[in-house]
Amino acid sequence: MEIEVDPMNITFAKVMEIFTIIGLIAMIIPAIGYFAGVSQFVDLQDAVKHWDKPAGKFWEETKQIEISGYAWFLDNLNYMDCLSILGIVVLALAPLLSLIATIPKSKGVYVLLLTILVVEFIIAILRPLFMQVTGH
Amino acid sequence: MDFTSVWWFWPVILFLFTLVIGIIAPISGVGGGVLFVPLTTAFFPFSVDFIRGTGLIMALTSSLSSAPQLTKRGLANLKILAPVVVVSMVTSVIGGVVGLWITNTFPTGKYYVTIALGIILFLIFIVMGKSKRVEFPEVKKVDSLSQRLDISGAWFEPSLERVVEYRTTNLVIGLPAFAAVGFIAGMFGLGAGWANVPVLNLIMGAPIKVATSTSMLIITVNDAAAAWVYLANGAILPVIVVPSVLGITIGARIGARIAVKARPKFVRYLVMGIMLMAAILDIIKGLGGLGIIPKIL
Repeated sequence: MEIEVDPMNITFAKVMEIFTIIGLIAMIIPAIGYFAGVSQFVDLQDAVKHWDKPAGKFWEETKQIEISGYAWFLDNLNYMDCLSILGIVVLALAPLLSLIATIPKSKGVYVLLLTILVVEFIIAILRPLFMQVTGH
Repeated sequence: MDFTSVWWFWPVILFLFTLVIGIIAPISGVGGGVLFVPLTTAFFPFSVDFIRGTGLIMALTSSLSSAPQLTKRGLANLKILAPVVVVSMVTSVIGGVVGLWITNTFPTGKYYVTIALGIILFLIFIVMGKSKRVEFPEVKKVDSLSQRLDISGAWFEPSLERVVEYRTTNLVIGLPAFAAVGFIAGMFGLGAGWANVPVLNLIMGAPIKVATSTSMLIITVNDAAAAWVYLANGAILPVIVVPSVLGITIGARIGARIAVKARPKFVRYLVMGIMLMAAILDIIKGLGGLGIIPKIL
């Protein structure tokens, strides 16, 4: 039996479904290349040696870099492991894109609530670019 | 040959481990993330930073895979999500920041986080043991905020062969509870179904199917927001994330098929026993790391 579901729920679900599939494919395919030894930003043997250390220390010892923000993978998209992280980025963006697509379908106070959620989400993404949090 | 020093050894073990978690999670009714983070912290060589980052991505992927279908059927409801996540998204990001700050700023920070994780697991164990599930809670009076937001919905329930309509209440009490749950989920990389479902079902009066489905929807937004904290700190490694996501995704499909046929109660008790053991092991590992007791893990 069919029931009428609020259009904002339907739009949210459809957009989420599309970006989940794109994100999963974009994460897994480059990872296969990475595991096969194709173009590695972090050498797998190096990763094994240092993955017991906190994230900051791991990057200091494997790549001699200090991580703050997203440049560490965005600047290295020619490597398979960083491309795989781009797939994770798509997954982490899926709810935001779904919320944005849903606003035009929502009514009354939900326009305001969904807009607040979108702003909060964007702040969560941009926050590391203007705040250093790890204490390095 | 020492297999543990070969790069693929731990990822393969991790895949098999998450496959098993994926199979038993739907049968036991316990979320996979709640099992993954404490057990991996206790038994695997990875830093707790990478484990929490992976836990979040796993919980996010699992929820993203199931939430759209549940939303289209009217079981997961954005009208419940919107006011709740306005609060919990902020606290989940703060949780992620605080967790990484502790492990990266203090040399012994990771041990404090491991001990706190063990204590949180005890809390989850108690919540899961005590909380009852009410199939169709009766909402006698809707609070003014929920009324103003018109938090309501409907879905077709095959077991009753009719459309079930519902309303929720007590939003003002639910909001601080979701704030606390968001913080814990962000800090420890846990999925938060163990807490979301009782709050939605027992406090806000959502039917149990709506509560479990909407919890999935809430996890998608909260965990996605917190994941950016881990991404910005380099705490996401494909060599750990990809085998885990694949393992839990394949396992969950197998587990869901088994769960349709049989959900023996002993599996739930077994899983709760494993959680209790993981809590004890995490505390022992943390105390050992701080030198308070001899290091045995």
